[in-house]
Amino acid sequence: MPSLRDLRAAWSARPASYSRLVWTLILALDRLPWPWGEEILAKSFVARAFVRTGRLRQALAWAAAQPSTERGRWHLARSLCAYHGRFVARSALVGIRGPEALLRLVAVRGEEHLAAAGRGVILLGFHLGPAGSYLALRVAGHRLTWVGGRGATGAWSREIRQRYQSARETQFFSEDRYSWTRRLYHARQVLLSGEHVFISADGEGGEAFSVPLPGGPQVIGVGWLALRRATGAPVLPVLSHMQGRTQVVTVHPALPPRNADPGLDLDACRRSLAHLLGDHVRRFPEQCYSLVFSAPAASSPTSRGRRWCP
Amino acid sequence: MTSEPTLEEVQAVVARVAGPHRSPAGAGPDTPLTEGGFWLDSVHLLETIIACEEAFEVVFDPETDFTDRTLMTVRRLFDLVRAKRSGPG
Repeated sequence: MPSLRDLRAAWSARPASYSRLVWTLILALDRLPWPWGEEILAKSFVARAFVRTGRLRQALAWAAAQPSTERGRWHLARSLCAYHGRFVARSALVGIRGPEALLRLVAVRGEEHLAAAGRGVILLGFHLGPAGSYLALRVAGHRLTWVGGRGATGAWSREIRQRYQSARETQFFSEDRYSWTRRLYHARQVLLSGEHVFISADGEGGEAFSVPLPGGPQVIGVGWLALRRATGAPVLPVLSHMQGRTQVVTVHPALPPRNADPGLDLDACRRSLAHLLGDHVRRFPEQCYSLVFSAPAASSPTSRGRRWCP
Repeated sequence: MTSEPTLEEVQAVVARVAGPHRSPAGAGPDTPLTEGGFWLDSVHLLETIIACEEAFEVVFDPETDFTDRTLMTVRRLFDLVRAKRSGPG
């Protein structure tokens, strides 16, 4: 049972993209035995789509753009909303009290690609399934530095934070206009020292290119590309999906080696990611919530990324 | 580069990273590096910082050196580079 002090700390760690209502719900449901909180949030997000019908329309429009499914677009739209709620719960580890419980809920595939890539690897994540792939990799025993913000980690139990969150990376959680410069600079140092980093390809920030997918393009950011260019580190895409109640994280083979010509390098990355992400969306359309429920995060002419809105 | 860096040299680094389409007309030492000036985003700032490290043989500390006080304008960046060259911290 978390102390009042833990609850206060968790409340003050609410990410800006989470409404007070959703964060309150997360902290309240965390008291229930797992997986009740996940189930309630999944159902709540379906119910919310029928109240805030704009979301339902978004989900239906996106579902209609997918290749024909056996159970139709209403089923797909409903599943999309439910998975969105489930992933919000999972990213906050609602009801998951300690490291042992977490260990039973994650599986990692494709670890041979990571072993073959050697030292100083960029693990490139996507919001096309449950978040927290970097945590799953840590749980599986891989050492890496998370390059990103606090996210929903403020809701994690103290035991899990102590085991899986490094004091060094939490120093880079603060949000101001230079936070990403700080994180990228630190990530470059980590890569040059031969250690791995995990960064999202589709978070906030400038746009490198977009990948056409059924239902709309996936915007790919520039942060990881800057690290690739600055360090020459191999880039391994990492995708995540839910299989039953297990988060399956798959490490894919490395993107083509860096080309000295930036234009050709960009084209090679785009082609490789288009193939990989297209295949993922076709296999798990109901889990690709971020392609539907996201909002522009523009703050300058160079910022065209997306912001997740739980 | 072993001699003391000049304000013009630091400005040249910024202009090179920004490129001609981002560099505002009449850019000078007090032109902001980000909004309303060179419009450098986080990645361009990173490239500027790396370029300064290489050109002026300094090493920055991401926790203390990347703030409004140090990265607001070309002049502030120049002051930072000079401070880094003149002593620890």
